[in-house]
Amino acid sequence: MAREAALSLALAADAAAPRPGVARRAWRVARRRPAAAAGAVVVLLYVVMALGAPWIASFDPVRTDWSQIRKAPSRAHPFGTDDLGRDGFSRVVWGARISMQAGVFSILLAIVIGVPIGLVAGYYRGGLDQLIMRLTDAWLAFPFLILAIGLVTILGPSLTNATIAIGLGATPTYIRLTRGLVLATSAEDYVQGARALGAGDVRLMGRHILPNIVSAIVVQATVAIPTAIIAEAVLSFLGLGVQPPAPSWGTMLNTAQQFLEQAPWMAYWPGLAIFVLALSFNLAGDGLRDVLDPRG
Amino acid sequence: MIEFLVRRAVISGVTLLVISLIVFVGVRMIPGDPARVLAGTDADAAGLEEIREKYGLNAPLPVQYGRWLALAVRGDLGESIRTRQPVRQTVAAKLPITIELACLSLLVAIGIAIPAGILAAVRRNTLWDVLASGVSLCGVSVPNFWLGIMLILLVSVRLGWLPASGFVPIADDPLGNVKRMLMPALVLGAGLAAVLMRQTRNAMIEVLSADYVRTARAKGLAQPAVVLRHALRNGLIPVVTILGLQMGALMSGAVVTEQIFVIPGFGRLIVEAVFTRDYPVVQGVVLITASAYVLINLLVDVSYTMLNPRIRIRSTADGA
Repeated sequence: MAREAALSLALAADAAAPRPGVARRAWRVARRRPAAAAGAVVVLLYVVMALGAPWIASFDPVRTDWSQIRKAPSRAHPFGTDDLGRDGFSRVVWGARISMQAGVFSILLAIVIGVPIGLVAGYYRGGLDQLIMRLTDAWLAFPFLILAIGLVTILGPSLTNATIAIGLGATPTYIRLTRGLVLATSAEDYVQGARALGAGDVRLMGRHILPNIVSAIVVQATVAIPTAIIAEAVLSFLGLGVQPPAPSWGTMLNTAQQFLEQAPWMAYWPGLAIFVLALSFNLAGDGLRDVLDPRG
Repeated sequence: MIEFLVRRAVISGVTLLVISLIVFVGVRMIPGDPARVLAGTDADAAGLEEIREKYGLNAPLPVQYGRWLALAVRGDLGESIRTRQPVRQTVAAKLPITIELACLSLLVAIGIAIPAGILAAVRRNTLWDVLASGVSLCGVSVPNFWLGIMLILLVSVRLGWLPASGFVPIADDPLGNVKRMLMPALVLGAGLAAVLMRQTRNAMIEVLSADYVRTARAKGLAQPAVVLRHALRNGLIPVVTILGLQMGALMSGAVVTEQIFVIPGFGRLIVEAVFTRDYPVVQGVVLITASAYVLINLLVDVSYTMLNPRIRIRSTADGA
């Protein structure tokens, strides 16, 4: 009992010690690393674009207009129009929704599946761990696109199935990452202390280990989301993801490739939109690593 | 070391088995009668019966798996629904094209990444370093199919320097082959170069601060000798590992690159197979790529174990 009191006192003292809050650290990092801050701002702009697409886009992204086929950029159509007379700008704006959706939900899926499996493997070790790791190794051996193609063959092409395929492709990374972190964290004094105080497996995993590995998982997610966004674009480009006429940057580039000589503007903007979003995510991710990991 | 290699080989063997199981289950998950899936929708009753007989489709699943695996190990991956040719033959015809593309991209990637990585590490925190890191970040972020389209637009459509697409066998016309492979290799190599450059830079920075490098400097060796002879050799070890792990990304990239530049290789084969529901071909390609990935990484592990005595000894000491 006395030990428990001493321990909780020590914990309280630790909590009371002056530690710069996340917000202040974020501000400091933003001032020191303007590129990361700029990246974060651009990602936020994309979020606004995705959420506000109905108000930002000036045209219906799927409405065809036979009098406006493959028109060069103009005041009415700043990004030009495509082979069916649809407004390029509106389609790029709406495309943000699909890209963000695919990027975020696929990685969420990977986290929801991967983290608990990694947690169990790293916590219980032994035969179960071996079994999970062999399965993970085999899963990792499928090159991402080949795996996605295989899954889409089984499930059929659609945005949801592409998201599932991308998520399942990213899952082994989270299993491995979580397992490694759990192995390192389990050896820490505070986990051993909690165990000595009689905390059960679930409490140890949920209250003591998980909170300490969350930031590493979030950082990994910021690196994984741009990759997932590009992956969605690739699948849609190949015709295995979002189906026309939905405005996905990947499908737009697929169409654009057929009209490179007559309407090159069709190829500029969707690709640029993916590139800038991925670049911003990567820049912001570097900064986030500094914010979430005060030791780094 | 023998123990390490044996252990590594056994793990790879188990991984290969699990891969085959995943592929087998995957094909069984395709909705519909497996015989029809493997024989094609326009197969007649005799064709269906032949497939049922061959794979023992009336037997329990474990027996089916055993039979399928025995055939696959012998190289019998069934026949294409579309062309009625054995999958093995189809793959064998397409593979050299993709291997050529992959090798050229590797050359491009290594040719850009290693010198740039060394430069960034040696001139750390200078404009060179910032520039190299910036280019590398862009390389990771740019979707390679868009890069390909932009290259076609600039080099083929605007400047008319290189043909935009198509393929000529290297034996027929070596110059024409290289001309058509140049842009694809650049596109496929760019992403890999970005990753490798970052790794090379980090590895070199670490190695350059090691004691033996300081010793080499202290005994008066010139900078190039220190960097190239002493630092680079050790610095490249982690880079080789990353190279092995990046093979998957290279294979994925090849699928897209071949699609853009209309190169009739492995990657185009699988995309066409998906659209024509040519399941035996999809199954064969998926199985072969995953197995190749495992084997390449086994080779990478073995080769650097042999190259670096430290890993050799440490792994034996750990009993690993």
